[in-house]
Amino acid sequence: MTQTLDAGERFSQLDSSLTRGALTSTTQMGSKFGTFAITFGIAFPLLYTVYERLNWPLFTYHPVLGILDFWRQPAGVGPPMFWYGWIVLAAASAFVVACIAPFVSGHWLRRTTVFCCALTALWPAALAGLRSFIVNWATFDADFLNSVWVAAIPAFVGAAVITYYVPARLADRAWTSWLLIVPIGGLVVLGYSLLQPWFLR
Amino acid sequence: MNIILSIMREDTFWKILLFIHFALAVGLLAAITLQVVAVLMPARQVAGNFTDRSPVPAASYTALIAVVYLIQALMGAWIYIKYRTYVRIPMEELRHFWTVGSFELKEHVVTMGLGLLPAYWYFWQQPASAEFASVRKWVTVFLALCVWYSFVVGHIANDFRGVGS
Repeated sequence: MTQTLDAGERFSQLDSSLTRGALTSTTQMGSKFGTFAITFGIAFPLLYTVYERLNWPLFTYHPVLGILDFWRQPAGVGPPMFWYGWIVLAAASAFVVACIAPFVSGHWLRRTTVFCCALTALWPAALAGLRSFIVNWATFDADFLNSVWVAAIPAFVGAAVITYYVPARLADRAWTSWLLIVPIGGLVVLGYSLLQPWFLR
Repeated sequence: MNIILSIMREDTFWKILLFIHFALAVGLLAAITLQVVAVLMPARQVAGNFTDRSPVPAASYTALIAVVYLIQALMGAWIYIKYRTYVRIPMEELRHFWTVGSFELKEHVVTMGLGLLPAYWYFWQQPASAEFASVRKWVTVFLALCVWYSFVVGHIANDFRGVGS
């Protein structure tokens, strides 16, 4: 009887350890998918905004002719459509980034997110600042400063400084908040770009 | 496509497509609005043994919302071809710039919502967990705003040249 109870206990221990193992693997799978989903949710709007602003579509669709052309093509017969190209390129890039994310340590992932988001905000800001400097303050021929690559230097330095000084706990806590900050920020940028051509016309 | 166009006129086909797009939009709007209401104003717990009709759990709409949103985005992308050539050009000629601009923004709004779908679906897999409670709520609210904005702007564009216009 005692042996039976012992055996029963051992079986129940085995059961519970199996269940625990299954649960752990499910949780790990869930958390891996979670990392993928959250990273995709941050990377996609960020890259979409960047590609739209730079006008980098993967392909151009010509609706009148019904043909696709690789990369950005000028208007031929009828208007060219870039929107599909931006979405597909942003989705493919974000998918690659999101597939890598679960294999990166959580600490580095959150730091990289802060760096990328800061860089995306600082790069155009630095370029705008340089252009304003050339027009309003420069007393010498500063046209060489009007370059995205020159603007990249202060942007990279600024993003690195921000990433270094942001406390680890804040970066951890704010990680999911990027899911809202990035799309809303992207919409503000994209909406602002529509003001002049449509809303203030 | 050629088979369909041999049965009906081209503009009839696009109008049917637009109507299906509209009907699905109404369904999506209802589902996401109900979920947002549930998430912003959760039902109070019933005290003691007093039984009451319980509200439909908000998590049960999640898969439906994600799938319909995706279908709507694909359908919208298809109809967009016709919009670009048949609707937007006369809109610009008649100086309906606000309508064009709002529709341009709609493209971006829909895209931003599309990118959030995997995370939205993931957060609703454990609706009782407190870990993602706040972000789950605000992602849902953001998606609902995307759907509402797209619906209103799409309706305005339809009134310019679409079903019943």
